[in-house]
Amino acid sequence: MKLSNKTIRGFYLLLLVVMTSLALGLSSCEADQTQNLEERTWRVVWSDEFDGAAGQLPDPGKWTYDLGTGDNGWGNAELQSYTSNPENVSLDGNGNLQITARRNGNSFTSARIKTQGIFEQAYGRFEARMKTPYGPGLWPAFWLLGANIDEVTWPQCGEIDVMELRGQIPDKIAGSLHGPGYSGGNAITSDFALENGRFDSEYHVFAIEWGQDYIDYFVDDFLYQRIEKKDVPGEWVYNQPFFMILNVAVGGNYVGFPTSQTPFPQPMVIDYVRVSERTN
Amino acid sequence: MKKRFNQLRAALLFAALFFGMGCERELEELELATFPTNAEVFIDGFPGDLNYAAFGGSAVGAFDVDTEVKYAGTTSMKFAVPDFEDPAGAYAGGAFFLTGGRDLSGYNVLTFWARATQAANIDIVGIGNDLGGNNFQASVEGLAINTNWQKYYIPIPDPSKLTQERGMFFYSEGPENGRGYTFWIDEMKFEKLGTVVAVNSGIFNGENLTQTVETGATFRADGFAVFNLPTGINQRVNAAPSYFTYTSSNPSVASVDATGAVTVLDAGTATITATLGGEPAVGSLAITSTGDPILPSTPAPTPTVPSADVISIFSNAYTNVPVDFYNGFWQFSTTQSANVQVVPGDDIIRYSQLNFVGIQFTAPTIDARAVNRIHLDIWTPDPTALPATFKVLLVDLGPDGAFGGNDDVSHEVTITSPVLQTQQWVSIDLPLSAFPGLTSRANLAQIVLSGDLPNVFMDNLYLYNGDGGGSGGGSEPTMAAPTPTRPAANVISLFSDAYNDVPVDTWRTDWSAATFEDVNIAGNATKKYSMLDFVGIETVANQVDAADMSHLHLDVWSGDFTSFSIKLVDFGPDGGFGGGDDVEHQIDFATPAQGQWISYDIPLSDFTGLTTRSNIAQYILVGQPTGATTVFVDNIYFYRTGGGGNPTEPATAAPAPTRPAANVISLFSDAYTDVPVDTWRTDWSAATFEDVTVAGNAAKKYSMLDFVGIETVANQVDATDMTHLHLDAWSADFTSFSIKLVDFGADGGFGGGDDVEHQIDFPMPAQAQWVSYDIPLSDFTGLTTRANLAQYILVAQPSGGATVFVDNLYFYGSGGGGNPTSPVAAAPTPTTAAANVISLFSDAYTDVPVDTWRTDWSAAVLEDINVAGNATKKYSMLDFVGIETVANQVDATAMTHFRIDVWSADFTTFGIKLVDFGPDGAFGGGDDVEHQVNFTTPAQRQWISYDIPLSDFTGLTRRANIAQYILVGQPTGATTIFVDNVYFRN
Repeated sequence: MKLSNKTIRGFYLLLLVVMTSLALGLSSCEADQTQNLEERTWRVVWSDEFDGAAGQLPDPGKWTYDLGTGDNGWGNAELQSYTSNPENVSLDGNGNLQITARRNGNSFTSARIKTQGIFEQAYGRFEARMKTPYGPGLWPAFWLLGANIDEVTWPQCGEIDVMELRGQIPDKIAGSLHGPGYSGGNAITSDFALENGRFDSEYHVFAIEWGQDYIDYFVDDFLYQRIEKKDVPGEWVYNQPFFMILNVAVGGNYVGFPTSQTPFPQPMVIDYVRVSERTN
Repeated sequence: MKKRFNQLRAALLFAALFFGMGCERELEELELATFPTNAEVFIDGFPGDLNYAAFGGSAVGAFDVDTEVKYAGTTSMKFAVPDFEDPAGAYAGGAFFLTGGRDLSGYNVLTFWARATQAANIDIVGIGNDLGGNNFQASVEGLAINTNWQKYYIPIPDPSKLTQERGMFFYSEGPENGRGYTFWIDEMKFEKLGTVVAVNSGIFNGENLTQTVETGATFRADGFAVFNLPTGINQRVNAAPSYFTYTSSNPSVASVDATGAVTVLDAGTATITATLGGEPAVGSLAITSTGDPILPSTPAPTPTVPSADVISIFSNAYTNVPVDFYNGFWQFSTTQSANVQVVPGDDIIRYSQLNFVGIQFTAPTIDARAVNRIHLDIWTPDPTALPATFKVLLVDLGPDGAFGGNDDVSHEVTITSPVLQTQQWVSIDLPLSAFPGLTSRANLAQIVLSGDLPNVFMDNLYLYNGDGGGSGGGSEPTMAAPTPTRPAANVISLFSDAYNDVPVDTWRTDWSAATFEDVNIAGNATKKYSMLDFVGIETVANQVDAADMSHLHLDVWSGDFTSFSIKLVDFGPDGGFGGGDDVEHQIDFATPAQGQWISYDIPLSDFTGLTTRSNIAQYILVGQPTGATTVFVDNIYFYRTGGGGNPTEPATAAPAPTRPAANVISLFSDAYTDVPVDTWRTDWSAATFEDVTVAGNAAKKYSMLDFVGIETVANQVDATDMTHLHLDAWSADFTSFSIKLVDFGADGGFGGGDDVEHQIDFPMPAQAQWVSYDIPLSDFTGLTTRANLAQYILVAQPSGGATVFVDNLYFYGSGGGGNPTSPVAAAPTPTTAAANVISLFSDAYTDVPVDTWRTDWSAAVLEDINVAGNATKKYSMLDFVGIETVANQVDATAMTHFRIDVWSADFTTFGIKLVDFGPDGAFGGGDDVEHQVNFTTPAQRQWISYDIPLSDFTGLTRRANIAQYILVGQPTGATTIFVDNVYFRN
């Protein structure tokens, strides 16, 4: 999510889907099939259910903000300016957090919240239940960054993208892994598409299950990608705490730019975010 | 503009192309309890039972199956759109329909792939046109296609309704910029896509309408639905009213049926709302019924004119001629009609919700030459004090007896108080001479009633001969011919009480075929010729030298002529008959108006065979029916228009333009290269047009001018960089002159919701001299865009009686330098009544409290400045600015429009967002709604008055707590705008 040079990533998508599919022996488009996974049991250690009155900002004991336009649109020529205004980020009073991208003429506002410095953890299950925004140029994401980013910089810190979506393809998400030697357009990534539905019309649970030498990617408990230590063409940097980020970007190199036909405002509706430790 | 005579002729022309007749019929199909559910419409051919019918007036051969261009498989559907005015048909359009039906309830979208030979917008594509009730029609307008194959979606508003649908697909597309092209469609099928999701829906265009009517009024809902497509963009679908489920809040006041037909039943109030697929639709109709209609308590006066003198269109006193309809339900007409009786046997037509209504009689048309008056009785419960009007328009189809053909004529008469009276019968009885624009009336076909009275009861509509005197029309005029007004110095008169006449040898040569009398009409000497075939009048002894004259005038009256001609004979330099130098020319007038004085002013240049006119010696008048015609003649004289008299045409050319060509876009001028103009007289114009030469200079002449349309639709003019419109006009008789500019907006097409226009009136223009108009385009305040100028409408008064010469029609700019960066003039002063306004900022009204004109989260600099004495807000370095009324939120529920005046020298885009904080009155809370309306390429350096229907703010579904107004300009952060007159109105 963080740096530029992502436009060329698309060229790798197909190939990588095939590779990971072969590795796992499953195809990401056959959502009906039964998977036999090892049994894992979990205990929730951190969560935000986003209960509270409408218009409230998210719990400051759990979340902090990235604000403004970053450097070169957060590294991706993104258009939005992030705020901590309730019109961009607030509880909806129905147990959800809404991160809403808004258009003012040709300028855009949105929000990006993170647990950096508040909650950071290595390994476990990181999940969010949510509905995405849609429309050309919308780019919602749920992702993790290595907590040592300020010491070693990106991509050495590692980046785990649990999900990101291009608003002009509202039925498909991608899960990715960026690290030293395999970042930006060379990230390891896989797509997951709904057979006949959209990520904005129903809630879906996006999760990773992260162990010492693997990261499994799930949509609604369907495993669509496993990345193991041996799969990465560089250093495996996922043995340290990471923090979580939720954001809705507008425009940028990954998604392209909004058009006059992109509907605004566009909310991402997040029912909960939970982090669990493995108990078996 | 004024296209209402051309009602949509929706008749369908069956091209009778049937496909796939080889489908095997199985026994079960004869007893289907449900309908088949197959999805395919066209893959590589049509399924059985699918028929195609081309729409009426379309190019019947537009559709074909193509084996060369296809998206997949072996064939595609090819649609050849014709050129503008293609004799085979003006557009491509038709419907693909089944004889039986299909159950499509398991699908939610019709999909297909399409491409075209050029980028284009298909006017309309859709489903549900079954050539019958079209109950479940759903369509997409302006579908953008290009030269690449792309997939397209037509979402079904509510698939559960389509259990036996016959209309599989229909389309209609006209030329793009006047030229035809071809598009292909392939792989058309119904699908159930989870990637097409409903966003919202609405009735009455999403507006909350209010109507005050009488019991018995009816309305019809219309609907739309918005879906988000798999590409993430929203698609609006026009949805037939039957897709919706309607509710009346008070069914005893207003009922609504499943087709969206609303009927007002009793006094009271009721609101009509709807749901689509169980979800509430936006938009509503709030009806206030004033109760039972106020009916006339007495019948209309019984006509007394003998039936022999009457051509009756609607009356129980006479036998009516065949009438096509008393209400054509023309496009944009809201008029309802019903027959009522206040005494048995006496029918009255009740028109309600009257804006305009057409009465038509074309089978056959009425030959009204033998009558001279029109009569109708009306009764209205509505206020009739000035300025309320009631208008009667007569339309004649001209000699061709058909609509169009450049020979249709019409004239409208406006009736006001004191003739109009409330709640009493008023007899409107007018001489047809009051309709001077109706220059022929042998093929009278329409009477159009309009005006300000929503409720009109009408009876005894007939034409009649007001001279009594038995059948066959009046035999002689009751009034004298009009008195001439031209100065004697410019006249050579043969016969007139107004001038000294030159000697005339005889008013009837002995070789004439006519009877001649000198008679007296209303005290005025007049020549009467009866049993006329032709008559010769001679000035052989004192030949007339008309070399300096420009026109021949004569006044003619006849109750029975069907044609009239006049021939002039010049004996040439030898002054004698024969000798090889005689010249002559005859001019014929077909179907002249009967029973009224007709003033002929004939340019001598029209007598093209009359190559000399210094020895005019004979004047021959000819009438038909041959030998059976009676004609009265008065005021025969030659006159000239130049030289200090009262000229009727300019003697000098218009001033030659001097502006550098580089700064000019010329439509018509000898000085510049002109851009293409489609027509100098559209067929909906009310004027006669000629190309003429004035002192060697080409000019446009409009006579009998009411209004004329000039069009550059095919090559629209981009006057964005221009500052002024120039036009030279000359008229001897206009009393008012107007020019209207119409811009077709970004879509480049008529309609589409983005057309803007503005008319500027010049009362009391100087007559008989060239008047040069240099009009700042900024004066055309309603013309908020001018990149697609397509129509130029000239209007003059007296309506239908003015002759105007036009030259040097062009736009010009200042061409660099002196481009102002701030307005010199103040914004236009609002004219809406204060009672109908909630003002935020204006000198014209009391403003409501505004928290701030620049919130601290704005990206703009604000100054309060003064423009020509008028307080104005100036925003510079504008990206966006927030204005807030949070402390005193505005309840705009009773308002219909948001108005703001804006001036900028540099903006390229302007946006206005309104934010309503919802019932909680606070920011956030999940009930905030907002919508932004954007204007691209707004006109620069002029005040633009944006008067935006609140219904355009479609996302602003509430407006009782409006708290924020956000103005946005581009180029971002580099725009300066001036703002005045910010208010809501209704």
